[in-house]
Amino acid sequence: MTLPAMLPALPEIFLAVFGMALMMLGVFSPEKRAFKTVCTFSIAALLATLVLVLANPGGRGVAFNGLFIVDGFALYMKVLVLIGSVVTLLMSERFLRHEGMDRFEYPVLIVFATLGMMMMLSANDLIALYLGLELQSLSLYVVAAFQRDSLRSTEAGLKYFVLGALSSGLLLYGCSMIYGYAGTTEFASIARVVSAGALPAGLVIGLVFLITGLAFKVSAVPFHMWTPDVYEGAPTPVTAFFSVAPKIAAIGLFLRVMVGPFDGMIAEWRQVIVFISVLSMVLGAFAAINQTNIKRLMAYSSIGHVGYALMGLAAGGRSGVTAVLVYMTIYLFMNIGTFACILSMRRQGSMVEGIDDFAGLGKTNPKMAMAMLIFMFSLAGIPPLGGFFGKLYVFMAAIQAGLVTLAIIGVVASVVGAFYYLRIVKLMYFDDAAEPFDTPIGKGVGAVLAVTAVITLLFFVGLSPVVEVADAAAASLLQN
Amino acid sequence: MIIQALAFYVFAFVAVAAGVMVIASRNPVHSVLFLILAFFNSAALFVLLGAEFLAMILVVVYVGAVAVLFLFVVMMLDINFAALRQGFLQYLPIGALIGIVLLAELVFVFASWTFSPDVAAVIAAPTPAAAQVSNTHALGRLIYTHYVYLFQAAGLILLVAMVGAIVLTLRHREGVRRQSIARQVARRREDSIEVVKVPSGSGI
Amino acid sequence: MAEFFDIYVVPTAWIVGGVLLIVVPVLLSVAYLTLAERKVIGWMQLRKGPNVVGPFGLLQPIADGLKLFFKETIIPSGANRVIFLLAPVVTFVLSLVAWAVIPFGAGIVLADVNVGILYLFAISSLGVYGIIMAGWASNSKYAFLGALRSAAQMVSYEVSIGFVIITVLLAVGSLNLSKIVLAQAGGMHHWFGFSMLMPMFAVFFISALAETNRAPFDLPEAEAELVSGYNVEYSAMTFAMFFLGEYANMILMSGMTAILFLGGWLPPLEFAPFTWVPGPVWFALKIAFVLFVFLWVRATFPRYRYDQLMRLGWKVFLPLSLLWVVLTAGWLLAFDMVPPAGGL
Repeated sequence: MTLPAMLPALPEIFLAVFGMALMMLGVFSPEKRAFKTVCTFSIAALLATLVLVLANPGGRGVAFNGLFIVDGFALYMKVLVLIGSVVTLLMSERFLRHEGMDRFEYPVLIVFATLGMMMMLSANDLIALYLGLELQSLSLYVVAAFQRDSLRSTEAGLKYFVLGALSSGLLLYGCSMIYGYAGTTEFASIARVVSAGALPAGLVIGLVFLITGLAFKVSAVPFHMWTPDVYEGAPTPVTAFFSVAPKIAAIGLFLRVMVGPFDGMIAEWRQVIVFISVLSMVLGAFAAINQTNIKRLMAYSSIGHVGYALMGLAAGGRSGVTAVLVYMTIYLFMNIGTFACILSMRRQGSMVEGIDDFAGLGKTNPKMAMAMLIFMFSLAGIPPLGGFFGKLYVFMAAIQAGLVTLAIIGVVASVVGAFYYLRIVKLMYFDDAAEPFDTPIGKGVGAVLAVTAVITLLFFVGLSPVVEVADAAAASLLQN
Repeated sequence: MIIQALAFYVFAFVAVAAGVMVIASRNPVHSVLFLILAFFNSAALFVLLGAEFLAMILVVVYVGAVAVLFLFVVMMLDINFAALRQGFLQYLPIGALIGIVLLAELVFVFASWTFSPDVAAVIAAPTPAAAQVSNTHALGRLIYTHYVYLFQAAGLILLVAMVGAIVLTLRHREGVRRQSIARQVARRREDSIEVVKVPSGSGI
Repeated sequence: MAEFFDIYVVPTAWIVGGVLLIVVPVLLSVAYLTLAERKVIGWMQLRKGPNVVGPFGLLQPIADGLKLFFKETIIPSGANRVIFLLAPVVTFVLSLVAWAVIPFGAGIVLADVNVGILYLFAISSLGVYGIIMAGWASNSKYAFLGALRSAAQMVSYEVSIGFVIITVLLAVGSLNLSKIVLAQAGGMHHWFGFSMLMPMFAVFFISALAETNRAPFDLPEAEAELVSGYNVEYSAMTFAMFFLGEYANMILMSGMTAILFLGGWLPPLEFAPFTWVPGPVWFALKIAFVLFVFLWVRATFPRYRYDQLMRLGWKVFLPLSLLWVVLTAGWLLAFDMVPPAGGL
């Protein structure tokens, strides 16, 4: 194979090589500075990868004998994932140093997880899909348990690992069924078999298992059980990472698989997706009401948001995919912002995670309260904030596709969900002030907080270009 | 060939029997040894198929490395298997239920087995004829050329697994004396020996 | 009937004859290797070695064998009988079956299989089972400790042996042992042991010492700490089988060294007086030379400490051999010397 033939995978190759170099850097630099150095270089590497991704001419490219594909869709999702990873690293540095877990492997593992996500998004074959997914998951299992002296963190890591392994097993079982009945693992060839009609039952059952495995990874109901525990137990920056990058990557993979090779079976899989979408939205709305821990609350919130994203997938077609892409873009910023707030909840040097701890934030720290207000309103979907437009596009796509009931359930769920988001706002502005949080919150977190708040607030300004790009990306996905 | 058929039945029977014994024997060490027997017979079956490279790799990797580690762990751990099996009956119904559901699915799926008409075209095998190329060479071509992407990805996964294991378990304990060979070699006589002229009768 | 005779009986007879032709000389060499060991080390330590039984002590191995044969096999009361008895058999059998693929001369080989070197590697990686089974089944602390040490040691050094073999394979392009030998034709300077693979020759030889649990890596049977290691509970013929197996393995490893790095049955120089000597004799001479070095090492070096042993295996040999795989591949590519698939 010649070098130009590998060119489409250049960002991935760069990141992989750089990741390994980072490990050497960490091992050979003096122990005290290792974490800081590797962190800085990891951020630089991710940014460079972002540039390489953006530098792609945008055309469709296939590498490695058709195992790897680059198209507008992959580029769009990769940009989101990379932003998520960079921001996570920016926010983590201070936290990790505070908690005494500043080991240089953390940024390296984040880099490898990101690489896995990029590989997932570019997968054009069932085996490539699985390997990307596994690279991502394995890195995530480890970072979940990164606070190895804390019982909660190790429990989170173990739980995530066991259930993740189970879901990988289901996914592989599905893949093997599909391979058995389609006779190939390549997406393009599967698509040909599927569109040829006369679907064997094995293919459908294989697809069901595949969906199960993927639903596990995006934590959609009824495969969400791990989410609250893992989100609560994992170190907070890791939770922030979990709630955005892997989720975006998994949703991207979900879209690629469903809309790509299995497009011809939409009648078979649509009902399944509708079902898990409804369950996720409803559970995300109702189960979050009783939570007292903000990280658990965000876990249920993310389950709900996955439900909305899956609604777009259920709608299918160009408008459905566009809606999901727009939704995930907004989701990335408002979620990261919320976690930046959670990361700065620190009293006398130690973290607090209770929802009640927000009480009176409006008086003690008005700037942070303002930002949190923006994120909560946006998560609840209140116009004219970003979150509203995400939901709007998804609902529109669903109605266009004739899934009116689904859209109505979605609206109802988001009304219920608004309750717990607004409860935080009420706590912040109308309750008696508790002890103030520590200030300053650190440059990294502060910058992230400000930027994400502005983006969420003024999303409508840049809405039309974003939708345009997302639409082009969706078109490129459907073209395959 | 009668001998080949005979050999096949012998190896296949022993492999299956050993497999059964793996789960049936009471002593976990016996289980592992039966597992090794099963590996062996599978390797022999590979040889009968003409896949000699796979057969040898199966022995080298599974018997020579993986099973040794199994055996290590099983011998070192003091597992009370009787206690482990206590809940067995309690969970049997639900396990059986899941098993039956999966079995029913399989039966259902296989009953409706049809090849899609496109399959033959899709399968277009990338492997050349057996006479042209040895199976080591053919495998090498597939793994290192055709599927190099997957090969590298799998390598990365293993790397991450290794990093993970180290990150989660390695602790540098204080007060452990370690050998530094470089320092030992660099040590010179002047650093460690002092020759003192002791006048007799006065001590040092 | 005649057909049956032709298809089944004749080939079987040939195979059995071939097997006997290999096994008997191997066992004889084992017997005299033990004598040679005592003699050689004796000379090195300015002693005489065994010299009472027969002329120059030549009947000593026979006497030793008879003694073990007539002793009683004792099975410890807490032992796991089946595995206890199986372990020496496994060791012994494994040390003999490997010889099936060794080429003694041009075309003189019992089974000329395509993946000969892998077969050897597989068989040698199984050797650990006899030891670990013995250690566990003896139900004795010393035996168990010895077995664990030995298993860890053999598994560790196998990794670098594997990589060394890969470097040779890269240069040959085939896994067939005869082809590996033929690739070294043309005199001593073509032998892999004296080419760019020379460092791998050293790594292989030292790993072979560790793989066969020989001094200076004989920790599994470190008599000062473990009395005799994994075989402490064995007596009479069961012990003899371990003993035979161990020495047969030494000869096998020497044979592998000869094949991989010293040109197998090929003469060192490709002209008149050397080419008159038949291949098997050269092969035997090379094995004898390597065995002599085995003994020489034993008489010279003190025993390694366990952590040093592991350090050498994992932190020195493994990276070195890995690096050499890359270097060799790069070298072959750069100078356009990549052998054709399937060897020469």
